[in-house]
Parts: sequence; C-alpha cells; structure tokens
Amino acid sequence: MSLNDRLRGVFVDALQLDDDVDVENLKYRDIEAWDSVGHMALVAAIEDEFDVQFETEQVIDMSSFKVAVDMLKGFGVSE
Amino acid sequence: MTLVHAQARLRDAATGELLGGAELASRVSEVAKTFADLPPGVLFLRVGLDLPSVLRYLGAFEAGRAVALLDPAQDREVLDGLVEKFRPAAVIGIDEEPTAGYTAESNSFGWVREDAEGVTPHPDLAVLLPTSGSTGNPKFVRLSRSAVLANADQIAEVLGITADEVAPTSLPLHYSYGMSVMNSHMRVGATVLIEGSGVVARPFWDAVTTYGATSLAGVPYHYEMLRRLRFDPAKYPTLRTLTQAGGKLRTELVSEFNDKMRAAGGQMFVMYGQTEAAPRMATVPSDRLAEKIGSAGPALPGGKFTIRDEDGNEIAEPGVAGEVVYRGPNVMMGYAESESELALGDETGGVLVTGDLGYLDEDGFLYITGRLKRIGKVFGNRVSLDDLEQIVKGFGAAAAVPAGDKVVVFLDRAGKETCKAAAKLLSETLHMHVTGFDVRTADGFPQLPSGKIDYRSLEAQV
Repeated sequence: MSLNDRLRGVFVDALQLDDDVDVENLKYRDIEAWDSVGHMALVAAIEDEFDVQFETEQVIDMSSFKVAVDMLKGFGVSE
Repeated sequence: MTLVHAQARLRDAATGELLGGAELASRVSEVAKTFADLPPGVLFLRVGLDLPSVLRYLGAFEAGRAVALLDPAQDREVLDGLVEKFRPAAVIGIDEEPTAGYTAESNSFGWVREDAEGVTPHPDLAVLLPTSGSTGNPKFVRLSRSAVLANADQIAEVLGITADEVAPTSLPLHYSYGMSVMNSHMRVGATVLIEGSGVVARPFWDAVTTYGATSLAGVPYHYEMLRRLRFDPAKYPTLRTLTQAGGKLRTELVSEFNDKMRAAGGQMFVMYGQTEAAPRMATVPSDRLAEKIGSAGPALPGGKFTIRDEDGNEIAEPGVAGEVVYRGPNVMMGYAESESELALGDETGGVLVTGDLGYLDEDGFLYITGRLKRIGKVFGNRVSLDDLEQIVKGFGAAAAVPAGDKVVVFLDRAGKETCKAAAKLLSETLHMHVTGFDVRTADGFPQLPSGKIDYRSLEAQV
C-alpha cells in the first residue's frame, strides 16, 4: 500500500471520518473531528502505524494531511 | 461595578490589534448599543474565540443584558430546541437560515425575534450557561451579575492576577472555566490574548511567544497533551503560571507540572468548581500544592465548605467524607428550564449542594472522593451516565461508567462495528470528540442482589 493510502486509512480510523471526506486536502480544524483532542489521537495513531516518534515541534506543525505526508517522508517512509 | 477595568486590554492574535482603555470601552459600548433596540428576552450568543465574539459578550454584560453563551458548533437541532424553549430576543453570531419566528438581520448580526412580547429576564441575571450533559432536558445555570463579579474577584485574588498578566484563550468562552479566565483578567485590568487554535497548534504557541502570555489554563486532557508535547517552560520565559480545573488531574501529572514550573521559577494552581458556582469554589495555593497533592484546596475567600451526611447533618470531624456543600457570594441564582424561569430571582440563597462526595482535612483543604449522582466527565464536561445509556439504547442494553476524562460504555454482546457506531452517535449527540467515548462489548453485566447493574464492579474493569 502507498504512503498516501496508509495515511488516509489512519486518518479515517483515528478521526472516524465519513466516506465523503476529502482526506488528502484536510487541514487541522477544517472539520469538527480534527480538533485538539482529535489531533492527539491522530498523532498517536500515525506513530503506531508507521512506527515513528514525532518531535514536539512536528506535533504542533502537523496542520494538514499533506504536511503529515512530508513529515513521514522525512522519516524515510517510502511512498 | 463593571467587569471591564479601565486598564483591561484585549489582544487579537489574528491581527495583532491591541484594544484597551477608552478605545476598548467605546467598542464595548458600541456593541452594547446594538442590543438596546432588541425585544425583551435573553440574548443567545454563539461565541467563538474571536474578537467580535468577545466584544459581544462584554457588551451584553456591561449593558446589563442577560446573555446565554453557546457553542458556535452546536447542532442546529439543539439550538432550535433551545430557541423554542427560551424564546431569546436574538440569536447572535449565526449566519444560517433563521428558525420560525425569527428574522435574519442583513448585517450578519444574527436573528431577531419577530414577536415583540416576551418575558423580561430578572434584573440581576447576567449570564446563562448550559449545564453539560443535559441531553434530554436542556437547562441553563442562572448566574447573577454580582455572582460573576464576585467570582472574578475571588479568582484574581487567589491567583494573584495583576494588570501585568496576559492570559491566552486556551478554553472556549462558552465553557465556564474559559469565561472565568476572561472575567478575572478583565476585572483587574489585565490582558486577554484571543487565539482560537488550541494548545496543539503552532499559531497558539507563536502567539504565546509573540505577545508574552504569562499563564495557561487547562483541563486534565490539556495536561495530557502538554505532557505528550513535552511542554518545557524554559522555552516560554514569560509563561510562569499554570492553572488546572475541570476535573481531577492524575496526581503524577500534578506533581510533574508543579515540579517543572517550580524549577522554572513559576507556579501551578489546582482548582475546583462547577458552572453552578460561576464557576470556581476552591484553589490550592501554589506554594502548598506539593504537600497537598490530590486536594481541591480550601474554599475561596468569602466562601465556605461544609460536609454533610446522608441525613443532611453537618460532619464537623475532619477526614470524614460526605456530600460537599458550598456557600459563597458566587453561587448561582438557580436553573432555568423555560422562558418563564428567566424571570425568577435567587432560589439558592448562596448555598450550592454540589453532588460531589469529599472530605475536609485539618487545614480545611477539600478532597473530592466521588460523585453522589451517576455523572462522568468527558474532556472536562459533565455528562449524565444515565443519559448516555439512553442515547445508545437502540444498539442494545448499555451500562456507562466514568473513566478519568472519558467514559466507558459497555454494550451487551455488541460487535465491533456496533460499538463504533454507538461511539459516533454519542459524539454527535453530545457534541464531544468521539475519543471521549470508549464503547466496549460486554458479555452481560454484573448484577447486585437487587437485580440492578453493579456499576462498581464494572468501574473496576476499566
């Protein structure tokens, strides 16, 4: 599975998104489920799925799906 | 007696604008004027963490106009239900098609009631806050002007808030704790830094640094987040005070953050309250926190706790638990469940029977040990556990128990998808994040000899 697909799955599970949500263009606080509580659940789920650990600065900078993709690439997760 | 001190300032992080002195006063009275021509009734104010929302709140308060503070993200259905029940003079801060009987103002002000006749709220009534967890039967806590001001003064005194303080809006204004941060800072001429993105987002911390925030208020889940973020006060040299309320924080975290702040030359305050007390009742002095870990603190100045037994008699002996009763100038007037009840005067006489169980130690410090009623907390918001069971009854028999800052709902012989759907329904109905509802399957429920569900043994399982 590609990085995008895996990450999309994590978003859908962690934030319990409906099928019609445009996950890849999602930004923090675009939808109610991605609030501060959702953010922490999401970060934990991404760390689990990709076996990475984000730094503080990365957690607060993870403001969109796309940013998360770039961060994971930075960890060497292959596309 | 006014809420907004002549030196009080509002800093809007979105624009950098600083409003203070005569300019702030004139902006507040400008807003107050827009309320003057409205029909009689309470104002429904949908408040976000933005400058217009804050000015509307302050304007309504200073104009002596009773105002209900509502979550702007509240479901339309719930809002319509409240509108029908309380017939507000106006619903402000909404840009949707108005509900029947209301006309939308062209300047995106909100809706105004068409019927000029309505109940005039009691003249002492200043703020109405929804009681959390009231799913079936929404009601408001009625707070008088004097109670709100008294609590702002009490909080400012025990926290030592001076005009030099800068408090960021880490909590919503429609949440009593968020409102009290606003009130206590406005009252002493301090600055409130309006920033709405929350403690997990970059803009919040940028604003803390840029505008020199001096304190941070959080409920237990914020402290869990701050721990995850490895919050380091050394990185924020102006931020020297942490306050915590909205439920009991794990004692390890109290110690951890207290130690961190002390090491950085700062302080931490643990507090206790309820919306019904406008909302603060107790605060642990920061220099005694280490020796009183787990305590909610002594009553605020002007307030007093007593503990009473099942028969309503006062327990004078320290260390013996019973129901916590608070007396003070900040206690609510009562509840309102309908428009006509907005006209009621004070019904409590300054006495609040909290429904919490606890005891006082020899020094008068309160320790909360539990709840008399079946109440849980979800991210700092009170919810009725019985209501939760009602909401998910379509999925089968349910038993809900508190679990720290979340609730666990056991569903009898439910599959994984059913549990997920039930959590989602709870989240949507109560408007709280889905991760606050841990729905699990159960193979029947343990029972008491009476045949009732044995909630204690269920609680032991979580």
